[in-house]
Amino acid sequence: MTNQVINREEFGDVAVLHITTTSVDAISAAAIEAACTDMRPITVLDFADVAFINSAGISALLKFVVSARKSGYKLFAMNVSPHHQKIFKMVEMSRFMPTIEERDLAAYR
Amino acid sequence: MERVLVNIPSNPVFERVVRASADEVGQAIGLAPDRIEDLKLAVSEAVNNAIEHGNGRQISKLVEVVFMLDQEKLEVRIRDEGEGTEQERIDFGRRVVEETNLEAGMHRGFGMYLINALVDDCEVSSSQQGTIMTLRLYREGHQR
Repeated sequence: MTNQVINREEFGDVAVLHITTTSVDAISAAAIEAACTDMRPITVLDFADVAFINSAGISALLKFVVSARKSGYKLFAMNVSPHHQKIFKMVEMSRFMPTIEERDLAAYR
Repeated sequence: MERVLVNIPSNPVFERVVRASADEVGQAIGLAPDRIEDLKLAVSEAVNNAIEHGNGRQISKLVEVVFMLDQEKLEVRIRDEGEGTEQERIDFGRRVVEETNLEAGMHRGFGMYLINALVDDCEVSSSQQGTIMTLRLYREGHQR
């Protein structure tokens, strides 16, 4: 997949990665996980535009978890739908990528 | 009983077609929005499993998906054209993200657990003609 699926925003130690594809799945996984090579001490994945995530997508998101743990960085999820919060809780993804509110980022801007 | 049949080649791109069909079927029978999301995810996982493990991503092999609706339930049958040997070992057990798996680079394997957790019941039957995974979601007020 060659379409850009992440819009990157940086301020200070924070990178917000806005996922622009509506499906985090086997098709978009490679393009999404490519962004895990360039994280910041606080990295936030923004799911505002995401309507669907399956296990192939979760696998891609886990690359960010691994990368953050290796670097000692913090990883957060933002604008996660109630359904996806349920799925993240089921696979215990939320332990490794807790949710953050947009207003909590204001202090870093 | 009403049936909706979707056949796709074993290319993950077309899993999105089945998912869109699941969305439409779920809406047509009046499932609650959260149940439709459960249905879409379960069907997505089953179809991807059929594409990858059943048909080995051979585009010439089809994945057949049949949505069957009756008064009490929606039943979805996902059939691949594989030989069934791999599929017999499907594990529906609980699978969560664990530190040891992360360090070992094991980032996959949540699909069957999610299916089992999201639908009301599911079963798998395999033969040399392929594997059929059957998912059922019961309408509100009907016995499981």
